[in-house]
Amino acid sequence: MIKFEHVNKTFGDHQALSDINTTFKAHETTVIVGPSGSGKSTLLRSLNLLERPENGLYHFNDQTIDFAKPITGKTMLNIRRKTGMVFQGYNLFPHLSVVKNVMEGPVQVLKQKPAAAKQTALDLLDKVGLADKADAYPGQLSGGQQQRVAIARSLAMNPEYILLDEPTSALDPELEAGVLRVLLALAQEDNSMIIVTHNMEFARAVADKILFVEDGKILFDGTPNEFFKQPTQRISDFLAAMTFTTISDKAK
Amino acid sequence: MDSIWHIIVTSAPQIAVAGLKYTIPIAIISFIIGLILAVFTALVKLSPRHGWFSILKAIAYFYVWLFRSTPLLVQLFIVYFGLPYLKVKGLWPNGIQLDPWTAGIATFSLNTGAYCAETIRAAILSIPQGQWEAAYSIGMTKSQVLWRIILPQAARVSLPPLSNSFISLVKDTSLAASITIIEMFEVSQQIAAENYQPLVMYSLVAAFYAILCTILSWLQGYLEKRTSRYLRPLN
Repeated sequence: MIKFEHVNKTFGDHQALSDINTTFKAHETTVIVGPSGSGKSTLLRSLNLLERPENGLYHFNDQTIDFAKPITGKTMLNIRRKTGMVFQGYNLFPHLSVVKNVMEGPVQVLKQKPAAAKQTALDLLDKVGLADKADAYPGQLSGGQQQRVAIARSLAMNPEYILLDEPTSALDPELEAGVLRVLLALAQEDNSMIIVTHNMEFARAVADKILFVEDGKILFDGTPNEFFKQPTQRISDFLAAMTFTTISDKAK
Repeated sequence: MDSIWHIIVTSAPQIAVAGLKYTIPIAIISFIIGLILAVFTALVKLSPRHGWFSILKAIAYFYVWLFRSTPLLVQLFIVYFGLPYLKVKGLWPNGIQLDPWTAGIATFSLNTGAYCAETIRAAILSIPQGQWEAAYSIGMTKSQVLWRIILPQAARVSLPPLSNSFISLVKDTSLAASITIIEMFEVSQQIAAENYQPLVMYSLVAAFYAILCTILSWLQGYLEKRTSRYLRPLN
């Protein structure tokens, strides 16, 4: 279980995260939504320690990190090994073949034997539907395929949580569907996932819990059922702004 | 005309031998040492400024500044003719006396290292931040990220400018003539002093440099192709 308590993060004068308190349960899928610049990515990246909040507590199972104190390299590596990250821009290593991208972490970080790591990598590539692309380079794949490789790369580390930062925002709808299917399957296998997305349909399908973030604050923390009942005017406006129907209704 | 051909045929082997014995080894050894220096200097210049790193950083900045701001010929003279007068009691009572070979390689290495350091620094900076983040996010340490993810990509980026530096260095080794190294240019000068054919001799040695540099340009093209394989689409 991951728990954030009173976490704050600023970029210069901008308060990116403001007194964040929430829990991410294991074997659940949490979806973080909110307008652009609201702090959802910062929140996600803080979980992987790619961002360093100034203060607050980060509980990861039995381990507690106090952001106000220096974090040792060892702690940082430990947290990162347990939290796989998938980026909006895929960030695959372009000079390594697809299978080597997936093997890199297990071999270099977990010190697995290359032969064993390769077998795991091939199995994972099969799982995301790309077994035939093992020897291709990332630049030879479509965006959707690259993102599925990135998902396999994070799974190869056998993380306790998979963090996904707008994984389909850079994809056209057809490619997006391929990636979302993979993510849906992962969610149904009871993996622990935390996903930042703008796709409400996907959020509704996959989420066990929804966080609505705006101006660095959590304005909603609950089930998708409650969320899509539009409990507040702000959420109602947000959802309306994301859909085409209300626009066309107004046009009538 | 017959005499010109005779001059070329008799002197070309001597220039070629000087090339094999001095020009090429000096260029290759200096470039390898220079590259190692350059990678180290670039990494120091890019490192965060804290602790004893600030001292290393200051040294790196000073080194690059010094060798880029003074002529190579003057640097050679200072190292070979000047350092013997640097007498420090206890340390070097008789000054620092280097043989021409050592003085030449030291100076050429330091000089090309300063230029290559900037090339490599720029190449490292050109690799997107996302590459660092992706590598960190799978738990790699900073040095793993650097050596396995960033530098291999930076090497490809820096290949053309590094080739420039190497080609320049090959030609700059002609300055070693001034510190008594009998490399290709020095040999051609000596022969010209005997046969009074400076136009023929200097044109001939120029052709030798041109041939060497042409081969290097081909090599650059080949390496660029090899290291860019991953950028090409399938089929």
